[in-house]
Amino acid sequence: MANYFNTLPLREQLAQLAKCRFMYSSEFADGVEALKGKKMVVIGCGAQGLNQGLNLRDSGLDVSYALRPEAIEQKRQSWKNASENGFVVGTYEELIPTADVVLNLTPDKQHTSVVTTVMPLMKEGACLSYSHGFNIVEEGMKVREDLTVIMVAPKCPGSEVRAEYVRGFGVPTLIAVHEANDPKGEGLALAKAYAVGTGGHKAGVLMSSFIAEVKSDLMGEQTILCGMLQTGSLLCFDKMIEEGIEPGYAAKLIQYGWENITEALKYGGVTNMLDRLSNPAKIKAFDLAEEMKDIMRPLYNKHQDDIMSGHFSHTMMEDWANDDANLHKWRAETAETNFEKTPAADVEITEQEYFDNGILMVAMVKAGVELAFETMTAAGIIAESAYYESLHETPLIANTIARKKLYEMNATISDTAEYGCYLYNHACVPLLADFMKGIKSDVIGKGLDLDDNGVDNARLIEVNDALRAHPVEAVGSVLRGHMADMKRIL
Amino acid sequence: MEPSSRFESIQLNKATISFDDRFTLSEIDWTIEPHQHWVITGTNGSGKSALAAALAGVGNIEAGSVQGLPQNVGLVSFEAQAELIAKELKKDDADIMDVISLGTPVSEMIFEQCQDPELASELVEKFGLTTLLDRAFRKLSTGETRKVMLIRALASKPDLLILDEPFDGLDVDTLAMLQAHLASITDTVPMVMVLNRFDEMPDFITHIAYLNKERLEKNRGDKKRGDSGRLAFTVDREDEAAFNELYQLLHLKTTDLSLPEADPAAKLPALDPSQPLVKLTQATIQYGDTVIVDKLDWTIEHGQHWQLSGPNGSGKTCVLSLITGDHPQCYTNDIFVFGFQRGNGESIWQIKQFIGYVSTALQWEYRVSTSCKNVIISGFHDSIGVYTKSTDQQKKIADQWLELLGMQERADQPFNKLSYGDQRLLLIARAMVKHPPLLILDEPCLGLDDMNRQLVLALIEKICAGKETTVLYVNHHTEDKIKEIDNHLALEKNH
Repeated sequence: MANYFNTLPLREQLAQLAKCRFMYSSEFADGVEALKGKKMVVIGCGAQGLNQGLNLRDSGLDVSYALRPEAIEQKRQSWKNASENGFVVGTYEELIPTADVVLNLTPDKQHTSVVTTVMPLMKEGACLSYSHGFNIVEEGMKVREDLTVIMVAPKCPGSEVRAEYVRGFGVPTLIAVHEANDPKGEGLALAKAYAVGTGGHKAGVLMSSFIAEVKSDLMGEQTILCGMLQTGSLLCFDKMIEEGIEPGYAAKLIQYGWENITEALKYGGVTNMLDRLSNPAKIKAFDLAEEMKDIMRPLYNKHQDDIMSGHFSHTMMEDWANDDANLHKWRAETAETNFEKTPAADVEITEQEYFDNGILMVAMVKAGVELAFETMTAAGIIAESAYYESLHETPLIANTIARKKLYEMNATISDTAEYGCYLYNHACVPLLADFMKGIKSDVIGKGLDLDDNGVDNARLIEVNDALRAHPVEAVGSVLRGHMADMKRIL
Repeated sequence: MEPSSRFESIQLNKATISFDDRFTLSEIDWTIEPHQHWVITGTNGSGKSALAAALAGVGNIEAGSVQGLPQNVGLVSFEAQAELIAKELKKDDADIMDVISLGTPVSEMIFEQCQDPELASELVEKFGLTTLLDRAFRKLSTGETRKVMLIRALASKPDLLILDEPFDGLDVDTLAMLQAHLASITDTVPMVMVLNRFDEMPDFITHIAYLNKERLEKNRGDKKRGDSGRLAFTVDREDEAAFNELYQLLHLKTTDLSLPEADPAAKLPALDPSQPLVKLTQATIQYGDTVIVDKLDWTIEHGQHWQLSGPNGSGKTCVLSLITGDHPQCYTNDIFVFGFQRGNGESIWQIKQFIGYVSTALQWEYRVSTSCKNVIISGFHDSIGVYTKSTDQQKKIADQWLELLGMQERADQPFNKLSYGDQRLLLIARAMVKHPPLLILDEPCLGLDDMNRQLVLALIEKICAGKETTVLYVNHHTEDKIKEIDNHLALEKNH
């Protein structure tokens, strides 16, 4: 199979990358009509599979689950999930031929094998739905010409997809149609109805393309989302130990710090995250971030270039074929890092203290978010996509680190994200080595030790202006505004 | 016999204690001697739970002093229960890993940090939890979770036992068992209970503390705002005159009530009166091999009010959730509701539009930050939180309900900062606000003080007497009967 993106002419590549717009509520007036009475068969009964299925059924749609025979025979967890919730469960052979829509909600890595197995069983003119486009775009999966191929991707974990639906709301959702596979022109109608069925239309739907989703998703996850937080955790921890900070405190500051500071990011962007610092600390964080952006820019460019050219997916798939030798080796190395091996101390750190004593972490998040965004948009990805794949999703990974630290974070994200994260980390740690030599505990571990918080007016205005003028802030405030409009308690 | 007390005496001297939800207990003077057993009572929102929690070290002491708090305090409360459940939910939350978490088993919740495993085992047996030890804690019913909390507290060898509404939500047998157990340990452990119901006060209680709510003036000190509770008086049970006075105070008559109107603009699809509202045929709920509800037939006709009872774990809430559509197994059962045979393409919102609903589980799920007024308004939309525009008429109706509950001044206050009882009142109003064809009240009076309980019971009677709404009412308390309800379904425990 050939890389699909690379088969397209430049004009088409650019057009696909630039696809992403926030849809109006009025576009969902038909509700779930397009899927009414159709048979939806879900493959994969993990958190996404189960919870999306529960929502779709509660929206009046016909949902069942196709599992592998051994999962059924051995009554595995996936079988229990589906059958205890009262769904019809059957084998691929039993259910797929009856399906009008097949929802592929298995992990990325299984897509080729799942789709290859399922495709011959699917009936003429049915629809195959993905929640991630890697298989189509990077692996170049050729889907039978009579089948419609769509993507519906709720931008939240499965448990939240369900919880928000039950409340009468939903989670932001990305939809796309694979234009090469839309023989009847019904892809968009099906994707919209699916998004309504999961409640996504109440929280906001982005219409994108398979290509924009894949190229931005890969870039975001390997740089700012997972890579930067991994590198930042390791560097900040080792620096604090070198500076004589109590190891348990250092481990806690990092493990929970990312979550606390990116919560501010989620609500009010980079500006709000830096506004949580005192004025002198804000200027300090700004300067550190500028310096790191200059150092790391070539690395971000390289990641984006390798993603665009297909080099990244090609080398990763080689490792897949080699039984994940590199992936497993790198994962084991993460377990051996000092940060990972030091348990967080049972000390109280207030929410504000995470900012005050974590100025360098704030600077790293700022540098990473802005660089990822700048690199993506420079490569032709539209600002909306770039925003979601950089700033919007950072708190999600931060939350996972808070609960599980690095090793488990890596084991739980997709293998694709994990592989990219290690590539980034291996390059970024040496890249920042010189920069880190100049770092002291005033910006990581202890906080600025100042007698007064005075700053120069002109400098503060300059910094505030620069923060607010960054394009990720402009698009972010519009998109957060849309979401808030929808969610605002009237 | 002198109790083998583990503390001297607890003394609060002019103690002003603030809590992070802007609530303050003001200038409390109170002494608890080790041989005394107290009941804290008072109006909803007067800080009964706060005062009890203060004995467990919760809150900031702003002025005065608190001395002699014992080290090991056993605490059972709705707040602690909700916190434990929230913690369990969090384990299943925000997972990027695509798996379903199974949750902590009951046995681990009970025995992990247990001081007295022998007693714990005995209580597990007595409370009928033996068969549930392997079940995930978060899969338990409300009453069962409560029992786990009680066992944890009782078997922790506490120096002081604080029981905030320990009897609420327990079935009759368990209630009797618990009361007997408490009576048997009065010599070893001093107890402080929060009770909203005067008639539940055990005989061994020696003293009563009565709290009053007052609103702090905004200019009376610069930072104090919001509500404050004061210890109005204490009563020694042997002082008969004072005791009777207190009894009268708690049994004020409810005045003539009038219900706010329904929203005239709301248009529900018409129901066919010749069809039953609800018909369950051979309804069965089962997890693995455990059968919770076994082949239940139940028909509810229009205007036929029902009371539903049964011991904890008999599946009351499960049966109700088959009707509301919240139980996933409603799709594997033969269920007819509001003209829909379930599983034929109807959405749950088409079902929920006919239902007003209140339960303890709903109160736990109502974890969004929104105002008190919006909680009532959300009843028009069947949502938790408000996500669609509300009309002026709906806002006006919500104001009328707030006034009826005496909460008009708190319209814009955040719901999640209210006391449990006040939250409950709002959720009852939310359930009633649209005058639904079917009103499901699953132990609605949990956490309400005597006065508010009478108010709510009067409201329910009023609704039952009207023609619009059919009422399903679950309760354990024989005193809380509604005279208009003459159909009764009693569930048995199957597992």
